[in-house]
Amino acid sequence: MRRRPTRREFGAGLALAGMAGLRWRPAIAQTNEVRVAMIAPLSGPWARQGQLMRMGADMAIEEINEKGGIKALGGAKLTLVVADAGDSTEKAKNAAQRLLAQDPDLVGGTGAWLSSFTLAVTEVTERAQLPMLTLSYSDLITGRGFKYVFQTSPTAGHQAAETLPTAMQLAETATGKRPKTIGILMDNTAAPMSFAKPLRDGGLEKLGLKLVVDQVFTPPLSDATPLIEKVRSSRPDFLLLLLSAMPDNKLVLEKLDEFKLSKGRLPLVGNGSPLGTPELKSIIGADLLEGLLFSVADWPFKGDEEMVERFKKRTGEPWMTQDGLSAYGDMWILKEAIERAGAADRIKVADAIRAMNLTAGPAALSFPGPIRFDENGRRQDVPMIFAQWQNGVPVTVFPAELALAKPYWLKES
Amino acid sequence: MKSAAARRRWVIFAVAVVVLLVSLVIRSAYYQLVLTQVLLWAVLSLAWNILSGYSGYFSFGHAAFWGLGAYTVTLGMINLDLTPWLGIPLAAIVGGLAGAVIGYPTFRLRGHYFALAMLAYPLAMLYVFQWLGYQEVSLPMKRDAPLLYMQFADQRAYVVLALGLLVVALAVSLRVENSRFGMALLAIKQNEPAAEAAGIDTWRWKMRAIMLSGALAGMAGGLYAVVLLVVTPESVFGMLVSAQPLILALFGGVGNLWGPVIGAVVLVPLAEGLNGELGDVLPGIQGVVYGVAIILIILGAPEGVYWRLRDRFAKPRSAPLISAEPVPAVARSDARPTDRDDLLVLRGIGISFGGLRALDNVDLVVREGSLHGIIGPNGAGKTTLFNVVNGFLAPDAGEIRFGGDQLTGLRPNQVCRRGIGRTFQVVRAFSRMTVLENVVVGAFVGAHDDRAAEQMARAALDRVGLADRAAAMAGGLTTRELRLMELARALAPLPRLVLLDETLAGLGHDDLGGILDVIRRVREEGVTVLIIEHTMQAMVRLVDEFSVLDHGRLIAAGRPDEIVRDRRVIEAYLGRRWMDRVTNAVA
Repeated sequence: MRRRPTRREFGAGLALAGMAGLRWRPAIAQTNEVRVAMIAPLSGPWARQGQLMRMGADMAIEEINEKGGIKALGGAKLTLVVADAGDSTEKAKNAAQRLLAQDPDLVGGTGAWLSSFTLAVTEVTERAQLPMLTLSYSDLITGRGFKYVFQTSPTAGHQAAETLPTAMQLAETATGKRPKTIGILMDNTAAPMSFAKPLRDGGLEKLGLKLVVDQVFTPPLSDATPLIEKVRSSRPDFLLLLLSAMPDNKLVLEKLDEFKLSKGRLPLVGNGSPLGTPELKSIIGADLLEGLLFSVADWPFKGDEEMVERFKKRTGEPWMTQDGLSAYGDMWILKEAIERAGAADRIKVADAIRAMNLTAGPAALSFPGPIRFDENGRRQDVPMIFAQWQNGVPVTVFPAELALAKPYWLKES
Repeated sequence: MKSAAARRRWVIFAVAVVVLLVSLVIRSAYYQLVLTQVLLWAVLSLAWNILSGYSGYFSFGHAAFWGLGAYTVTLGMINLDLTPWLGIPLAAIVGGLAGAVIGYPTFRLRGHYFALAMLAYPLAMLYVFQWLGYQEVSLPMKRDAPLLYMQFADQRAYVVLALGLLVVALAVSLRVENSRFGMALLAIKQNEPAAEAAGIDTWRWKMRAIMLSGALAGMAGGLYAVVLLVVTPESVFGMLVSAQPLILALFGGVGNLWGPVIGAVVLVPLAEGLNGELGDVLPGIQGVVYGVAIILIILGAPEGVYWRLRDRFAKPRSAPLISAEPVPAVARSDARPTDRDDLLVLRGIGISFGGLRALDNVDLVVREGSLHGIIGPNGAGKTTLFNVVNGFLAPDAGEIRFGGDQLTGLRPNQVCRRGIGRTFQVVRAFSRMTVLENVVVGAFVGAHDDRAAEQMARAALDRVGLADRAAAMAGGLTTRELRLMELARALAPLPRLVLLDETLAGLGHDDLGGILDVIRRVREEGVTVLIIEHTMQAMVRLVDEFSVLDHGRLIAAGRPDEIVRDRRVIEAYLGRRWMDRVTNAVA
């Protein structure tokens, strides 16, 4: 009997403590400090990607400050304010609103990894005229007529349109022959479906590709045997893999190996940075991934070697993925914009981003192509990068001027 | 009742004023956003409470209504340029219709099966909306006419809008709680067959509840889309959305309109505060702290914060819930014929359960004004016969006529409506209601309004001699009192016939006499009584006529003195000892 009030009091105390957590955090506006934001999922299913972004951003901030901070503002230090976007659009939006309320001096930011989070976050930042950089590539993000959102990745539509032509170029460069036939193996979730639609609606014909096997399944896949049997019997020149779930990837790659189609014997092409994560290697194994090619918005390329080494040493990560690289680059873009604006003023910083055309320096080295945005906030003249799994590491192999290794298309064994 | 409702209306008004003042005082757009979310989640939780809190039909799928509301507003605005000012009312209509479409098949299920089936709807919709290509939809920014499209620069406008919805939801909840709607749902929650037998059209009330609930949830979901500006299937149909109203209501207190509000006011800011304070320091820890806080509070207040606070601070409710004005005598509605017409006529009734013929070609005539007993050994089919008459079971063969009307195929509440009340072998009380409320539930059938129902209930309690126990909770009654209360519930709507199922079972000798007197008095007042009983001695003293069932067949019928001498009856049911006594008595 005596324990019960104690427990209750403890519970009530906790609840009060939680509510007290909602205290007003006064903005610490120091003159020698410029504050930028990162809103990313640090908890929930996408926490790992958010953590990787944070590693990249932290490293950039440290480098900027070590090199003397913002010179135009008398060496003011750049400070990163981080907010957890959590696991829902509501939490992501709240995080943005909270940052803006508690940090009225923010001049720019990056976020929020998942495109639906980015959509929600930028609804808030747009109204507050805070320039936001994002690696999310949904077309909608820069399709709303917003003025303060800048998309560093090519949009999903652009990636879908450019992946196959670039792959064809890659094949031609590597083998001297253009592929004539293609197979498509995909699930029927939203992203693969929208990726493949323009291909089936005449896109393949335009490329001179014949679709010899076209397999669409509803995830999760229980057995890949019938799918891969059809692939083997129709023998396309290469196979486009559009799979959204990790277990399906594993099943398909294992079955391809069983049918002696893996390790470059049937060229495999995919899309998106999830195909290059260290987790994928630990789950599927370097062996089965060998030779897999994927187009990606951003991946470490020629000139980044030294920076990637610093990142690996600093974080213990085996290599750098798009998440860390883009966040690193975003910080440098913001730094550059603040220098050009000459003031810690978010509207001027946004103007500076809109006006910039960077081709050299750490910011430019973090993204393929020049840092130049159109009026919608989309980057222009961005080449599609291809990375390939080679000896257990996904490395950039195309285009040649950015490549860290030579691609191979077919590997006879 | 009146004064309590008025007082709660004032409380709602006061809460609205306080929220308005708070929204004026806080200047941060962030706190205004959180306040808006508190109000919206409170509305969803109240909507959930109307269905699940009152009727006990737990829904794990309220995200279905919320999400449909959100998409109605969003897609309406994108495709039809429909302003949310019209979109949100439309969302309420869509939510209500979805309630009907979902309720119609799903109310065939009960308990856990219902809850799990409800879980499936939002999950299915999630995939459907993904498949339709609506995985990320954003409400277009209207720079030219922001007000027309509910796009305010000042976040306080959203607080006011959400507050408006909350007041609507509270007013609706209050109305439900204080009317026969709420009483019917509570009766369903506590004992659905009893509610049905007492004349509550359980199907209709459940459908109304889910439609109302769906409409409120859809409306709130619509405004949620306007506030969030981005709608994805996960954010409006996801598991977390379905869980939220449950958590808030369970935390705050189920079955009361303040419970969901308390839950939302405490938990939504708590979760958000934890996200804000701990999210960037120790990502993920906020979920742990939130969970632990909920567990601890629920350990301290298992039925929810509201009930705990009420038990601690509110005075025990001494006065009866319903007004204690003197009861005017209830006038009998229909004149009783003096001659003994056939009131209830069963012809060739048969019903089988698998291979067992529970009733076989049963003919039975109960005459108006008689006290008719049905006896038979265990398993003879007596209770089955009652279940067929009152509509719980549909017979395979035969027909039932009552006062000349066809009764076959009617549902229990319709049978009750035609003037047949019943009691149960095992008393089916609404144990968390007072005696008076129990009887009021039965009276609704015969009353035009709630006031008349209460008067009829008081009259019925008077008739069975239980008037002094009107305010007691049914859960605390003795067996005798429970039997009388159930009898009063059956008598309240002034039926022409009552079916009493072993009303005398489990009573001591003293109690027995009292109840027999009550039954006799009921008959003298003109109500026909059909009674099942085991206690032979008592029955012989009580009834005018006997029907004897054995193995589903009617083996004899007649006056008690004939029946006790009937050889077939004696052999089939009463046994040799009885026969000896009869023989001795005759000798």
